[in-house]
Amino acid sequence: MPTFNPADLRVIAPELFLVCSTFAILLIDLFLKPTQRHVTHWLALLALVVAGALVWSGAPPMGEVAAAFDGMFLRDGMATLLKLFVLLTIALVFVYSRPYQRDRGLNIGEFYLLLLFAALGMMLLISAGNLVTVFLGLELMALSSFALVALNRDSPLSSEAAIKFFVLGALASGLLLYGMSMLYGATGTLDLAQIRAVSDFTAGSPHRTLLAFGLVFLIVGIAFEFGAAPFHMWLPDVYHGAPTSITLFISSASKLAAFGLAYRLLEGALGGLGADWTFMLALLATLSLAVGNVIAIAQSNLKRMLAYSTISHIGFALLGFVNGTQQGFAAALFYMICYALMSTVAFGIMMVLARVGFEAEEIDDFKGLNQRNPWYAGLMAIAMFSLAGVPPLWGFFAKLMVLKVAIDAGYLWLAIVAIIFAIVGLFYYLRVVKVMYFDAPADDTPLVAPADYPLRWVLSLNGLALLVMGMAWSPLMEWCTRAFAVAG
Amino acid sequence: MITLAHYLTFSAVLLCIAVAGIFINRKNVIVLLMALELLLLAVNTNFIAFSRFLGNPDGQVFVFFILAVAAAEAAIGLAILLVLFRNRATINVGEIDSLKG
Amino acid sequence: MSVQLFFFYTFAVITLGAAAAVVSVRNPVHAALFLVLTFFSTACTWLLADAEFLAVALVLVYVGAVMVLFLFVVMMLDIDIAPLREGFVRALPVGLIVAVIMLVEMLSLIGVRSMEAVQSVDPALAAGMSNTEWLAMTLFSRFLLPFEVAALILTVAIIAAIPLALRPRLGVKSQSVPRQVNVDPRQRLRIVKMRSEAPVRGQSTEAKLGEGLEP
Repeated sequence: MPTFNPADLRVIAPELFLVCSTFAILLIDLFLKPTQRHVTHWLALLALVVAGALVWSGAPPMGEVAAAFDGMFLRDGMATLLKLFVLLTIALVFVYSRPYQRDRGLNIGEFYLLLLFAALGMMLLISAGNLVTVFLGLELMALSSFALVALNRDSPLSSEAAIKFFVLGALASGLLLYGMSMLYGATGTLDLAQIRAVSDFTAGSPHRTLLAFGLVFLIVGIAFEFGAAPFHMWLPDVYHGAPTSITLFISSASKLAAFGLAYRLLEGALGGLGADWTFMLALLATLSLAVGNVIAIAQSNLKRMLAYSTISHIGFALLGFVNGTQQGFAAALFYMICYALMSTVAFGIMMVLARVGFEAEEIDDFKGLNQRNPWYAGLMAIAMFSLAGVPPLWGFFAKLMVLKVAIDAGYLWLAIVAIIFAIVGLFYYLRVVKVMYFDAPADDTPLVAPADYPLRWVLSLNGLALLVMGMAWSPLMEWCTRAFAVAG
Repeated sequence: MITLAHYLTFSAVLLCIAVAGIFINRKNVIVLLMALELLLLAVNTNFIAFSRFLGNPDGQVFVFFILAVAAAEAAIGLAILLVLFRNRATINVGEIDSLKG
Repeated sequence: MSVQLFFFYTFAVITLGAAAAVVSVRNPVHAALFLVLTFFSTACTWLLADAEFLAVALVLVYVGAVMVLFLFVVMMLDIDIAPLREGFVRALPVGLIVAVIMLVEMLSLIGVRSMEAVQSVDPALAAGMSNTEWLAMTLFSRFLLPFEVAALILTVAIIAAIPLALRPRLGVKSQSVPRQVNVDPRQRLRIVKMRSEAPVRGQSTEAKLGEGLEP
């Protein structure tokens, strides 16, 4: 009978700290007046920074895995890297959305608390070593996200987006659970590593049939979390209906967590079925690339356009999974991190330009932005070029990496499909740039960013990072590769 | 004797009724939420059957967690439904179509 | 057919019939009631699999709490049912086809493995414990971390549901208990010192009021 081991607490120290500080913030926030909400804001940021420092300082050496609670919780190189970027993107959400939330009267304590709980769910999901922790981490994240989308409760669009998100999300987690029950039935264990060890993957055995049957359900659940076609229906509606601050969160941090989910389930538990799932993911990737890039052209709303662009980027990230080796996962992770930081720039600028009664979410709202505010027009142009994959920006090198591993894995046709759709995708990104630089503005008055200096500085740094990382991407890529290295 | 196949068949049929219910009742959100509960019930039955026949308690423990999460999920889902109803005065998904494109 | 099997079939048929009714009856209140029946008879089948604790938990949590919540919301929303049924007949064949195809596929897959697995001895009894004890030994040792996370999820449900559903109504009169308790007698009653006045004969107010009341 395993007993509680106090040394385990050191392994979960970052999560433990985040839980305690979240509850402290919950209590402190109760006693604050609405005008003192900046205290909650700074405390929440502080909690994320300290949690990040704990993730960094207590990280096990690369290639080693620190397991706690009888294998429920794993801390490896991938977990360290992915958690740091999840915490970073959530901190960016806090910084970028402060004036936006304040102007709309949405600057309530629950906004901060639910985001912190979502961060916690993501960290658990990324570190999950057992089907139970996968499920609970996922639900902690998902339930917080549903509520965050609905939090702007006077907006019919938000509540409509929330109910669609909720119903499809609950359906996806139900199907994921059905797949998990099949895995359990086939192997008699819930531990991911044991499932992999016990599984008998020889072709034709009834055992393998049951596992493959469960795998189909798992893939559906994973595809939903990513928003990969044909399970993408919720994504455009949620992006459009949610407040831009929450759209920013869903497009960046949630996608990073979805990577953790896919890696833990597919590689961690079902690595032996690689031949089956790489083919299924190749199909999903093809569909996502096609659906995302083609439908995005028809959009006039920038949030919907970026939603379809997310779908196409997921298609690209899946190219890395299709490879199914250490290099493949590293490329996919590099791509997801790059995508998350590009989308924070795009949505951050939308929030900078938004005013009460003017959401800056139609592409026409960006007409002549260069004359009204050249700095943010420049940053937006960098983000769009990077999303399109124009050299020498970061997005180009991320695309290059996943194309390379897909070709290495023998999926040349998939790489060609991806390049063709990337060229199709250029069209709609460039349209935004054209509107900003060559169209006459509907309103000549200069657009001034809110007088929130952390927002201005961090957003500018985030935008310039896309440029700098285009030249200095190799250390991060190397880190990603080492994160998936196996000891010995 | 009751075999594992009996339970798995039973839960498979329950899953299919739930999925069919989601297909048929695309208009009524309340019944949609009920169909989702049926889906989880099918999953739970699967876990209990496997746990029983493998002689391993883990599956039943998982069901315990699914029950707890499903209750939380129902609370949030119904809260979102209330917000939607106040904004739109309808739960007819057919009328909920402002988000398109 | 053993007695156990007979009961299993009975409960299974009731469950599936009720589940089919949930997704097909016209009235959401009826659907909620059928859902109660579904949960209850499923709990019975779980009992046959010796999962006593979970069977009781299902009845307590679902029939006792979740379904009451459902019924509460259904009645609170005061839904006009007729338009919700439009398209039902149109979607019915599609839904049926999807369901039947899925069922056939799943049954053929499941049948491969499990037909030979015969119900064995109750594992909890074999370990010399009750089902609840057997479950608890696992839940509170190896599953300690998930158990704590489940508590977090329930907290999130509270934190999320309150701001969504609670609407402070403006302009509604209500008591403020702290203010009532903290009230000072001097705010309520003012004692005014007056000189006593000599009554004027025959012209006191009491006398005037009294006159009107007399028959």
